[in-house]
Amino acid sequence: MNKGLNRFIPYMLIFPSVVLFVLFILLPIVWVLYLSFTDYTMLNAPEWVGFKNFERLWGDEIFHRAVKNTALYWIGTVIPSMVIGLILANLLALRLRGLALFRAFLYLPGVISSVAVAMTWLWLFDPRQGPINGFLKLIGLEGRNWLQDPKTSLSSVILIGIWVGIGYAMIIFLSGIQSISESLYEAASLDGASGLRKFWHITIPLLKPMTLFLFITATIRSFQVFDLVFVLTGGGPANSSTTVVTQIVGASFQEYKMGYASAMAVFLLAATFVVTVIQYAVGSRNASAE
Amino acid sequence: MKLTKTEQGMAYFVLVLISAITVLPLLIAFFTSMKGDAEFSLGAMSLLPETWHLDNYAKALQKGDWPTYFKNTAIVTIVVVIGSLLINSLSGFTFARISFKGNQPIFLAMLAGMMVPAQVVIIPQFLIMKSIPLFGGNNFLGSGGNGWLDSYYALIIPELAGAFGIFMARQFYLQFPKALDEAAFIDGAGYLRLFFTIYLPQSGPLVATLGIFKFVSVWNDFFHPLIYTNSESMRTLQLGLQVFRGEHGVQYNLLMAASLLVSLPIIVMFFVFQKQFIRSVMASSVKG
Repeated sequence: MNKGLNRFIPYMLIFPSVVLFVLFILLPIVWVLYLSFTDYTMLNAPEWVGFKNFERLWGDEIFHRAVKNTALYWIGTVIPSMVIGLILANLLALRLRGLALFRAFLYLPGVISSVAVAMTWLWLFDPRQGPINGFLKLIGLEGRNWLQDPKTSLSSVILIGIWVGIGYAMIIFLSGIQSISESLYEAASLDGASGLRKFWHITIPLLKPMTLFLFITATIRSFQVFDLVFVLTGGGPANSSTTVVTQIVGASFQEYKMGYASAMAVFLLAATFVVTVIQYAVGSRNASAE
Repeated sequence: MKLTKTEQGMAYFVLVLISAITVLPLLIAFFTSMKGDAEFSLGAMSLLPETWHLDNYAKALQKGDWPTYFKNTAIVTIVVVIGSLLINSLSGFTFARISFKGNQPIFLAMLAGMMVPAQVVIIPQFLIMKSIPLFGGNNFLGSGGNGWLDSYYALIIPELAGAFGIFMARQFYLQFPKALDEAAFIDGAGYLRLFFTIYLPQSGPLVATLGIFKFVSVWNDFFHPLIYTNSESMRTLQLGLQVFRGEHGVQYNLLMAASLLVSLPIIVMFFVFQKQFIRSVMASSVKG
């Protein structure tokens, strides 16, 4: 084969990926950074306004609300679904009979689309006919309009977020537990360690990489929560359940304030970047400690 | 681990309890989809329907243009799965098996791009879609029309990229021995032929993992169709479900039937390819 031509072949092979990467990731990042410093309604050309959008963001109470809600969603979903996932993974690792079926059903909420999940819970939470209020009535408690009450709208969405996240955490923890050598547990048993002690002193420390991974991915994903909120509450009532991405979509594609929405997007990018850097730092520290 | 009978009993008990709570919402949705109009709206607390209304599914299908939604989702998902498998595995193969200038930096740059949330770049992506020249009524400078917006292009092209897929493919192809390439080169095979005749036929596990991963994420995607399309003829299943709820939301038995139908292909796939599913989920954590 012609040697000169041969040199170009690798670049031709990755060409489609590179074009897609440049067009849909690299260029958009540069563009969104630029837009965040402009006024842009899609009718005019973008007009440079310096830090005006960020200053406005700093004083925007609805956006504060969105950041606070997103943080609450993060705290409210990540830890509980990881804890429940860890408990389930440990039980599944016992290799009792019928476990494959359990595993499948427990993971099911994780494979259904967020819209279908939202529909299911709209029914469960329905104030007049829904099973949750029906059950509460049965045991003599007062139900409420969970999703349309500012006091409970966000908590209800968080509950659903936990439910969705359990399966993924369970599978990742399970893969971690199954990679732990059986002999470690046997040795501990010979020394007379109880099940709980083995869990604390063998399982938990050896699951550290999975725990870090899950915590970081779940954190980043929670920053992006949108579908559930959009379908369940639309961010309402009175912005009680609005989130950062709900605000981005509202400002850009409903109000056409592209510059202002880009500033919010840059905020989200920065938050994600910080978490990723922390992951990298903690991850490499762990690696060097071992 | 050996467990005593009591320990086993306790483990089962906790497992069954948590499973019941976790699965109950899905069971309720399933049984509600079979309940009659009068029965479900009474708020009856029985889990099972008194009479099984399978016709709810036919009724739900009559409300809304489901064949179109299904066609759109199926076309987009299938094209994306096949296209992204080809593009990503070919790139992963190139990064893994060929040494060329820029191999590492280009790969790492793409990997870093994986961290960027889709929602961060959605605004510029939308503007890029809108200004693709000579499409959707645009002139050759990319203005005047809607470009790729509200078309299959917008739903397919960006999804073909995938740092995760390239990463997984690279990891996969790194495992093969160097001698394999050399033997093939003696035969005079080029890289492309090497990939298609030797590597791709052995990529079963990779194709399963990435294919499932992509299938689920594109089938279930709500965000991109919501932003990129607006006409009814371009609606996907997820958008259709959302619209269905807006129009017939109070008929929860039908809404549950529609939700189940939209999820059915994924659920069936999940139970058939459970092993590969779990593997594709586990694979996502390898990089951690």
